[in-house]
Amino acid sequence: MNIGLALIHWAIVLSMPIMLVGLVNRTKSWWVGRKGPRLIQSAYDLWRLLGKRPVVSTTASPLFRAGAYVVLLCGLLAASMIPLLGQFAPLQFSHDFVVVAYTLGLARIVLMISAMDVGSSFEGMGAAREASFATFAEPALFLLIGTASAATGMTSFADLIGHLHNTPHYAIIVVPLTIALLILLQAEAARIPVDDPMTHLELTMIHEVMILDHSGPELAAMQYAAALKMTLYAGLIAALINPFNPLTDPVAGVLVSLALMLIVAVIVGCIESLSARLPMRWVPAYLLIASMAALGSMLVIGLGASGV
Amino acid sequence: MNQLILAVLILMLGAGLCLLPIRNATRAGIGLVSQAVATLVAWSVVIPVLLGAPDITGEMPWAYPIGDLHFRLDALGAFFLSWSLPMTFLGGVYAVGYMDKYFSTSRHLGVHFALLNMISVSFLLVYTGEHTVTFLFGWEIAALAAWLLVIWDYPNEKVRFAGFNYLVSTHIGLIFLVAAVMILYTRTHSWFLDDFGDWMSRNPGTLRNTVFLLLVTSFGLKSAFFPFHSWLPRAHAAAPAHVSALMSGVIHKAGLYALVRFILLLGKPDEWMGWFLIVFSVISALVGGLYTVGQRDLKRLLGYSSTENVGIAGIGFGIGCLGLSWDVPALVALGFGGGLLHVLNHAFFKCQLFYAAGCVYQVKHVVDLERLGGLAKLMPITAICFIVGGIAISALPPFNGFASEFMIYSGLFTGESIGVWAKLTLGLVAAALAFVGAVSALSITRAFGVIFLGNSRDSSLPEGREASRWMLLPMGIHAVGTIMLGVVPVLGLAMVAGPTALLMRTMPVGVVAVNLQSTVEILTRIGLISGALALSIGLVVWWRLKSKNAPQPMLNATWGCGYGAPTPRMQYTGASFSTDFAARFKNIMVLIKRKKAPAGYFPDDSYVITDCVDSVERRLYSVISHGDETATDLSRKMQEDDPRLAFSAGLAALVVIAALVLLAEGVLP
Repeated sequence: MNIGLALIHWAIVLSMPIMLVGLVNRTKSWWVGRKGPRLIQSAYDLWRLLGKRPVVSTTASPLFRAGAYVVLLCGLLAASMIPLLGQFAPLQFSHDFVVVAYTLGLARIVLMISAMDVGSSFEGMGAAREASFATFAEPALFLLIGTASAATGMTSFADLIGHLHNTPHYAIIVVPLTIALLILLQAEAARIPVDDPMTHLELTMIHEVMILDHSGPELAAMQYAAALKMTLYAGLIAALINPFNPLTDPVAGVLVSLALMLIVAVIVGCIESLSARLPMRWVPAYLLIASMAALGSMLVIGLGASGV
Repeated sequence: MNQLILAVLILMLGAGLCLLPIRNATRAGIGLVSQAVATLVAWSVVIPVLLGAPDITGEMPWAYPIGDLHFRLDALGAFFLSWSLPMTFLGGVYAVGYMDKYFSTSRHLGVHFALLNMISVSFLLVYTGEHTVTFLFGWEIAALAAWLLVIWDYPNEKVRFAGFNYLVSTHIGLIFLVAAVMILYTRTHSWFLDDFGDWMSRNPGTLRNTVFLLLVTSFGLKSAFFPFHSWLPRAHAAAPAHVSALMSGVIHKAGLYALVRFILLLGKPDEWMGWFLIVFSVISALVGGLYTVGQRDLKRLLGYSSTENVGIAGIGFGIGCLGLSWDVPALVALGFGGGLLHVLNHAFFKCQLFYAAGCVYQVKHVVDLERLGGLAKLMPITAICFIVGGIAISALPPFNGFASEFMIYSGLFTGESIGVWAKLTLGLVAAALAFVGAVSALSITRAFGVIFLGNSRDSSLPEGREASRWMLLPMGIHAVGTIMLGVVPVLGLAMVAGPTALLMRTMPVGVVAVNLQSTVEILTRIGLISGALALSIGLVVWWRLKSKNAPQPMLNATWGCGYGAPTPRMQYTGASFSTDFAARFKNIMVLIKRKKAPAGYFPDDSYVITDCVDSVERRLYSVISHGDETATDLSRKMQEDDPRLAFSAGLAALVVIAALVLLAEGVLP
């Protein structure tokens, strides 16, 4: 295994969540004409939370506090298998993408359970929304992988994404696949138009409302895990677009990937500044766009192979 | 063979002794001891066969017209026997706790334990029967015994209705099975499954396709595939918890056994059969999964999830069939291996979930989601067992459901060179499977969250406490199995390898070994990852929550907005959790809503009642009642003494008979 690349991968996984959140917030501030917080402001916030003594609901069971760490660990495990840099992931084996999706699934179910643990209706509402939107988001990821798998004949996540660049229809399918991933990022990382991290009305929140009762180190773990998820999807988008193979061209590969991830954050920030959150009832339809985009690219691969 | 006959005799003897006029406790003791001894005796031959010893065959002389009875224990039968018998025993142990209050009454408990013994007998007959008659005989014993077990609470009319519903459905399945057997018998003039296989592998064509469809229908009814599942939620809700557990986890796996057995006999299935199985199973998984969302009765919910899980196993078998017809050994190994492993895993976690539901029922006397709540603090062991089973049933790591679904996914995203369209279609199936996984995560979160978390919603129910040890023990054993098979899935694979190799028997030995070895590698890796995940979670949680320098939290009330609840009924309910999602599938999930809105200045009696009913069952009943009326109308209009009617009826009958003869015999001699 390429130890240097693995170290870079982990450095990105651990540091980018802070940077990306900072950059999104900066972009949003810039659109409204403010200077905005420091890029690494969220690191300070997390540090402050780590030093605090947690307050726990009397209704909660021990699962409540444990849940936050399970979510974080699952995020880190998934991060070790996601090819942020292109054709490389520290932990790579055939069908690792199933492990990625299901590890994130475990994180989701634990997050929902710790939300319901405090008994509040609002947190139950958040959990119900998270659960039902996940059912619409999950197929899109597998359709996307199915496309890449049929196009490349590879079986591991890194190879799928890496070899996709050499397939004949890459130029066509990269557009719908990027759109699908961007929508997934917005859904999974709780960004506008699916969810609004800045809202202060419990009725309209999804992710934030689920962690209403978390505090101190547990809140830090949850927030970092959410930012990590955004990094993972941003990294996937970068890997999909990045033309350099990190195995043969490490310097350019890593730098371009980093730049692309930052650009994704800026785009996410711009979308957040320029559009409002969708009404809850439209969110499934929005998520279906991701599935449709992936289905469309499947069709391109199928027709392309049939010689149309 | 002798050991198997001995096991049958021990079970029958135990069943007989259970009926004697002795104390209920003695009867239960006899039942359990005979089960345990029979299991050990049967294991002494089953385990070696499972691990690669040669098949065991036996013959028993019998009178004309049935002829000698043949038995054969091969790896496939051994696989099913190896866990069915001990799990039935554990069900018996659970019954002791669950039936606790009847021990001191005049109710005859011996019948119950005798029936559990007969269930085990039926396993021995079905899983080793080589002669169609013993196979059907065992099939029927299982059906009748299960029916009698379901109607334990027979004074309740609903329970009787559920039982009758089950009895009728299972016999409709039997009709299809008998029809298939009749076709095969007319072709082979033999009662033996081997001869059936011989004929089927040499004669692909319309008749074989018909047989295949008949068999899939019959086995689909047995294992409750959609749309043949409508008996299932009723039966599971009505039966005692351990009977539901055994039916869902163990008894109805006979349908899947028979399916795999006939695929094995079929030799090389046609490609359409594989696709048909996949589509049939995907629909089952989707609809079963969706139905779990709306249920408010926990046992009905778990019942529907059986439909979902047989669907998932069926997808595996479908992939295996495709592999057989395309000659791709890797697909056969992953498909059948994954499917069978899922059958085993499902038996572990489904029984565990039903046992947990039974513990809740035992203590609270209801399994209605909307009346429970906050049980995690009062019943911690049950809660942990439920959530372990729940995570496993949602196929999430680090438990066993993930290992088997991973194998099935590996088959769906195969790296083998199959056609691009086939690959894309399998990708679609994978997306459907991902959807099913997310849906079952939703309904498990809902069930666990509403029942075990928060506060109790109904103060009129008895105080919660942990159920009896007789019930906790079987549940705990299943939970340990669920965890072990998740962290060391190679254990499960060792059990599945034999039958999978059997299905690959036409392929070169070297190829089989290579492919089985690669599945071992896949599962070892999955086990390592699951283990590492579980271990790191354990360590971090201990470090943050339990170690010496862990922060001690302050206790306070839940975030006040919307929670300074005047009544615990204001907590989030199961219905509120699922309504948003269910509304998007209202064509599949029929939600019946009865309500009386508050009216006037001093509104009094107002209510809303929502109920998620089974659309298949609803339509079935409406069709039947329509048909009933139409037939009555028709017979009223017809004049029976009209000769024209009599002649035309006779002509129609002749045409039908002639058509049947032509269909069965090809051309007239």
